[in-house]
Amino acid sequence: MSSSSQTEIRHIRPYVHYHCGCPDVNKSSVSLETENGETFNINSPRIQFSTFSISKLYFCDDCHQIRCPRCVQEEIVCYYCPNCLFEVPTASVKSERNRCARNCFQCPICQNTLSVLPSSEPQPPPSPISPTTVPTVSATGAPYYLSCGVCRWDSQEIGMTFEKATGLALQLQKTEDERPDVKEFDHLKDHFEKHIRLNTPSTALPSSLLSIPGMSSFSSRYGGTVANSQQKSDDVVPYEAVAKVETESGLVDDLVQLKDVNQITTLSQRMNQLSDQPYKVERLQPQRIHLRTKRVKRCRSCRHILIKPEQKAQATRFKIKLVALNSIPKITIASLPKLILNQRTQIVLKFSNPLYEEISVNLAIQEETNECGKVTILAPHFNITPYNEVWEYDEQDLVASRSRTASNSIGIYERRGNSTSIMFEITPLAEVEEFKFPLLVTYTSKNIENNENENVTAVEKSLEETSSLKATSGEPATDGSTKTLSFWTVIGLGSVIKAPPGTSGTMVAGPRSEPSGSSKGSTRGSTGGSSSVRK
Amino acid sequence: MEPPIVYYHRSEYIETDTGNKVSRKSVICGSQNIILGGKTIIQTDCVIRGDLRRTGGGHAVVVAIGRYCLLARGSIIRPPYKTYKGIFSYYPMKIGDHVTIGEGSIVEAATIGSFVHIGKNCVIGRFAIIKDCCRIEDNTVIPPNTVVPSFSIYEGSPGAFVDELPECVQDLYESKTKDYYAKFQPKDS
Ligand SMILES: [Zn+2]
Ligand SMILES: [Zn+2]
Ligand SMILES: [Zn+2]
Ligand SMILES: [Zn+2]
Repeated sequence: MSSSSQTEIRHIRPYVHYHCGCPDVNKSSVSLETENGETFNINSPRIQFSTFSISKLYFCDDCHQIRCPRCVQEEIVCYYCPNCLFEVPTASVKSERNRCARNCFQCPICQNTLSVLPSSEPQPPPSPISPTTVPTVSATGAPYYLSCGVCRWDSQEIGMTFEKATGLALQLQKTEDERPDVKEFDHLKDHFEKHIRLNTPSTALPSSLLSIPGMSSFSSRYGGTVANSQQKSDDVVPYEAVAKVETESGLVDDLVQLKDVNQITTLSQRMNQLSDQPYKVERLQPQRIHLRTKRVKRCRSCRHILIKPEQKAQATRFKIKLVALNSIPKITIASLPKLILNQRTQIVLKFSNPLYEEISVNLAIQEETNECGKVTILAPHFNITPYNEVWEYDEQDLVASRSRTASNSIGIYERRGNSTSIMFEITPLAEVEEFKFPLLVTYTSKNIENNENENVTAVEKSLEETSSLKATSGEPATDGSTKTLSFWTVIGLGSVIKAPPGTSGTMVAGPRSEPSGSSKGSTRGSTGGSSSVRK
Repeated sequence: MEPPIVYYHRSEYIETDTGNKVSRKSVICGSQNIILGGKTIIQTDCVIRGDLRRTGGGHAVVVAIGRYCLLARGSIIRPPYKTYKGIFSYYPMKIGDHVTIGEGSIVEAATIGSFVHIGKNCVIGRFAIIKDCCRIEDNTVIPPNTVVPSFSIYEGSPGAFVDELPECVQDLYESKTKDYYAKFQPKDS
């Protein structure tokens, strides 16, 4: 439904996606050299799973590599309920079945969060109280019930009421434990655990796996029995089911007779029911809300931590946050005219430098002409000035002085602050739904050699100071070592349209449109066109 | 895509000392009860009901909006209300910094944190709480009393969790709102 329409939109919308080689997922491309040697095929079906927008990527300082969600390892540091935001201690997560054990329930019909309501409205107090005081529950409201503010379902429909307005999950615990399927599962577990305890000297799985909530019973049952299946598997006493599955007699007949589809549960309603998947709406039960987690993320190659959130459930800060956005050049499409079949046009890509040192960038494409059309990089080599807080959001300057300081170099649209905008010449040769091309970005930054991690921040600070000083003098920051990184990107420019009737589809010499209507564009376009430079 | 420069008629907007830009074509009721943090933009046809305050009492802040917020064209801010123990009352609303509220969206939340993006044509129900760093997709209906935890993307009707936001969302939304403010420029005509 909505997801499919979203992907359609994403295809049409222009984008810049970064490729992650995932050295641990694809063992063949461990080093950068081999990866560059291989042709980077943007039409491969795998590309969907290996290219990401820059916001989703991490950067490992130790490996000096981009890391994507596929090549980080996650560890749960905190469980919390997304509704009441209470933290759940790891020790009790398993027994509470990964769901909130307080007052948070999901509507069985529409999955909205349910609210607790008193069945009788408490009497207003004699004097008006301050509206800011938290509603205190008076005993007059009992019994309480769950109610959905969206679809108007309420738990009285299924005869579910509560004596107190707090600890609802606990009040339901008894009925939950008495459900035949829960009982059966416990029986089954007891039955096999008895057997496993006798037969297994040590579990075959590492203890770290056993600490995953809900995993231990699984691993000891399956992992354990598999490991010992050859020796004593015969000893398992045949299991006798305790609860008899009640066959809903007449269910099939009812379903055959069904005239109104709303009389039976939808697939998602059914699948949201933990223990049984009833067809009858009146058998749906409110479900406790699933817990969410905060996770540490590590580089799979070197195990260094890339993301470390603050422990507290409600905190949004990070103790460690090594994201690509702060480490590699950010590419944005700054100008994109309509792509018309067989008409040459110019696009502008803006490269921003997040680092406190100047970087030099080399751009390359595999072949000038791909199945979408022809792509020419007008400025394949350029430098980007270091990032500087002072430049950021210099608002007046942004519009007032649109003078370009880069008129001396070919293909450079403008330099401003810590960014350089580069022109590309595009000639669509096919009426494709999406014009896209791969772009290899190689950048080199001057970096001070430093092996001690503790000093990194201090060094960065001093660098920041020196760079801001040296920037004016135009000297390289320090005599440090250089660091180089290459990565592939996929630039998607949206659909190519046929020339509108009336205008002939002939090649047009000049660029079709200039972003800010500058007259310089045409001269630059023609000079750029003659020097089709590439790596 | 780099967002373009948005021009407005110089005569349409009032710019305050703290850099707030408020359209004269918006409806701001009870402006003495409204606080704008600075560099916040309120566009054409927006409505802020600062007049809907709790009965009794004197001067009180009804709607507090932080810095670098954007109330896009036609969005409506209305404080939440409820009847508690037989007494009907409005309650104040607080919106953090770097919050974007899309075109035509109606907000009746209790609190909206900082670094929040609300899409177009959304309805944020009464007493909803949207924590810091969240994204509400276009056309989403957040039912009353819903809590949207940090780093969530909510979508649909009723709005439900669909995905997590990346860790760098704070930087992303901060630069997005600052960039929008910088590119929201007057034009004489
Ligand atoms: Zn990867
Ligand atoms: Zn909860
Ligand atoms: Zn419901
Ligand atoms: Zn690493």
